[in-house]
Amino acid sequence: MREITLSQAVNEALVEEMRRDPTTFILGEDVAEAGTPFKVLSGLVEEFGTERVIDTPISEPGFLGIAVGAAMTGARPIVDLMFGDFIYLVMDQLCNQAAKQQYMSGGKLSVPMVVRTNLGATRRSGAQHSQSLHALVAHIPGLKVAMPSSAYEAKGLMKTAIRDNNPVVIFEDKLMYQDKAPVPEEEYLIPFGEAKIKREGTDITLIGTSSMVQVAEAAARILEAEGISAEVIDPRTIVPLDEKTLLESVRKTSRAIVIDEGHQNYGVTGEIASRLNEKAFYYLDAPVLRMGAMDVPVPFSPVLEDLTVPTPEGVAANARRLCAGEMIHAA
Amino acid sequence: MPLDVIMPALGMAQDTGVILTWHKSPGDPVSEGDALFEVETDKAAMEVEAQGSGYLTDVTAAAGDEVPVGKVLARISETPEGGGTTPDTSDDQPKKSVGSEDQTDSAIPEGEEVIMPALGMTQDVGLIVAWRKSPGDAVSAADILFEVETDKSVVEVQAGHDGFVAALLAEEGEEAPVGDVIAIISREKPEAPVSRSQRERKAPTTAPPAPSTTKRPAPAPKGSLRPAKPAPSSDSRILASPKARRLALERGLDLSLLAEQGHPQPYHVKDLEVLENLPKAIAPQGSAMTASRCISAEVSSDGFEAFAAWAAKETGLADASALLAAFAGTSLGRENTIVALEAFGETRLYKVRGRRLGNLTEADSDTTPDVRLRDLRFGHLSSIQVGPEDTPVISILTTGTGLKLTLECTAEQMNASTAINLLSDFAGRMEQPLRHLL
Repeated sequence: MREITLSQAVNEALVEEMRRDPTTFILGEDVAEAGTPFKVLSGLVEEFGTERVIDTPISEPGFLGIAVGAAMTGARPIVDLMFGDFIYLVMDQLCNQAAKQQYMSGGKLSVPMVVRTNLGATRRSGAQHSQSLHALVAHIPGLKVAMPSSAYEAKGLMKTAIRDNNPVVIFEDKLMYQDKAPVPEEEYLIPFGEAKIKREGTDITLIGTSSMVQVAEAAARILEAEGISAEVIDPRTIVPLDEKTLLESVRKTSRAIVIDEGHQNYGVTGEIASRLNEKAFYYLDAPVLRMGAMDVPVPFSPVLEDLTVPTPEGVAANARRLCAGEMIHAA
Repeated sequence: MPLDVIMPALGMAQDTGVILTWHKSPGDPVSEGDALFEVETDKAAMEVEAQGSGYLTDVTAAAGDEVPVGKVLARISETPEGGGTTPDTSDDQPKKSVGSEDQTDSAIPEGEEVIMPALGMTQDVGLIVAWRKSPGDAVSAADILFEVETDKSVVEVQAGHDGFVAALLAEEGEEAPVGDVIAIISREKPEAPVSRSQRERKAPTTAPPAPSTTKRPAPAPKGSLRPAKPAPSSDSRILASPKARRLALERGLDLSLLAEQGHPQPYHVKDLEVLENLPKAIAPQGSAMTASRCISAEVSSDGFEAFAAWAAKETGLADASALLAAFAGTSLGRENTIVALEAFGETRLYKVRGRRLGNLTEADSDTTPDVRLRDLRFGHLSSIQVGPEDTPVISILTTGTGLKLTLECTAEQMNASTAINLLSDFAGRMEQPLRHLL
């Protein structure tokens, strides 16, 4: 199968869906002329014109509000939010308006909008351009949250998101745009709420989101050499969350580590770990561990920045302790 | 009890509200939630809902009137005619003459009353966060007298009157119902300013005012303030994973035996293997006794004998031992079981498949039985307890009135409920063999 980059995969998904559905359009900062700072949208304005690939002023609340209104009146806008960190600017449009329209209108209105944004540290971008804020959005009922872990997932999830009648926020990892993965030529969609078992194992379940799937897979390879068989699962969407697959795996392995690049406190790792505790308690032979980003602003210093995110070595070390039956006081 | 309708405070800095229109007329029936009147503040016009059901009576303010916040402007009564006294309309504040209403409050100096204000539409009580003035202090109307916390916010409340703080009738940290008098401001400097708790007002009148030191719970003795330290794990609580605990329960294993052996905690599933190998090793020390089970049941013998005779005659199953094996095997509650039957010094192994009487074959002699039946019906023993063996054993003895069934096993072989179920089920089949077929 051909291999393409995550950036190309997203581009393909957008092109295919925009050709298929004339009500779709893209808006955001630098999306048309520049094709975004990450060059994900290159070539789109040439094919679809500035009517459907719209450069906006630097006002996230403004253009996200426009998108919500357009979605309520029949269009399918795809909003490009250049950095995930800017989600703070659009909280009202996203959480108070988009998320609640269908509920508050008694189902008369819907907001079929996609917000494309990103997460991920270690790009040396400083504390205000390196955050992974998907937990903020996942907390709000009415919003779906997809987290592709490779080019394959990025394309399939994006196409599903565009066709979904609810607001969906997709967080791409900004360090993975140039990562290649096998992506079929023919069309495919990835349904929401279906986790993928990336690797089967029997001793411990490593649940990772976005780029943390790669970290979990690397940890699994380290552990394999030591005789520990780790199962790696990618939930792919955290809202909706495929609890069933996660629980089945944990009931089988009786141990789990949840790895996510958002801050650990009050985060996605805590939510998933808590559900495993509630629903697989009598199958657990060790506490479920959370491994999120350190609870500090992301440092600009490269040396320090690298310390804040989970690493394969760190995951393997924790997995080793759990499988050895060590008394775990804190992760 | 008629409900007072007051002018609500709809804004933080609002002193008065203008009644725009009344939606109800005096004598009209009203239901809780009905819009009573519309009020305009400096910021907005709002409808005010009735907080209870009844009839609108005693209306003292008309459309266009500007009414101070907190003032009673109507009542919701049980009859259209209303009842009780007309609300006091003589002044800006809802006032009662202190002393005349409540004789037990005679110690309270006279003066202007300060009430707990209504700061929200649905607020019932307010928590006094802090008094900004002390009893005896001089105050002017614009001075902040106290801070009050509602379910929404903390608000500073002005004294509203010039004079002196003659009485504070609630303590910091106490809640007071909206409308209750919580302070008195007198014109003259009070001779003996009062400061007391809300609770005292509700206390029996005969009780002397409690000394201030007892208003708060007595401090706990030193040392008990901190929660007790969790007991060291070696004492009682065994540290084990949820899965290890569940499996131990299912397999009838006792984790405390591991602890007694000094096996390091916490226990995980792999430690159960150690535990499973323990009882044999320590059996001579007497643990096997504590881990053994011996339960008995008595049934009449008629049922089985009649059934065996019927089966031999009607179905050709002449082997009564096979019937016993079938009963015991199916009593284990599983599909396929192996039953060893000992009778007259001979052991036969049966493979029991399901409930049908014919579904029973002799098993190979090297298979391990799930249960051993010792048929001692034709001997003279009246009671048996010989200790657990390698498989659970059910002995069948004849007593004066019928059959006595005794199950012996180790705790490891069968947990208590499985053992009880097995013998209960087997006894039921022996007493009424037709149950077996149904």
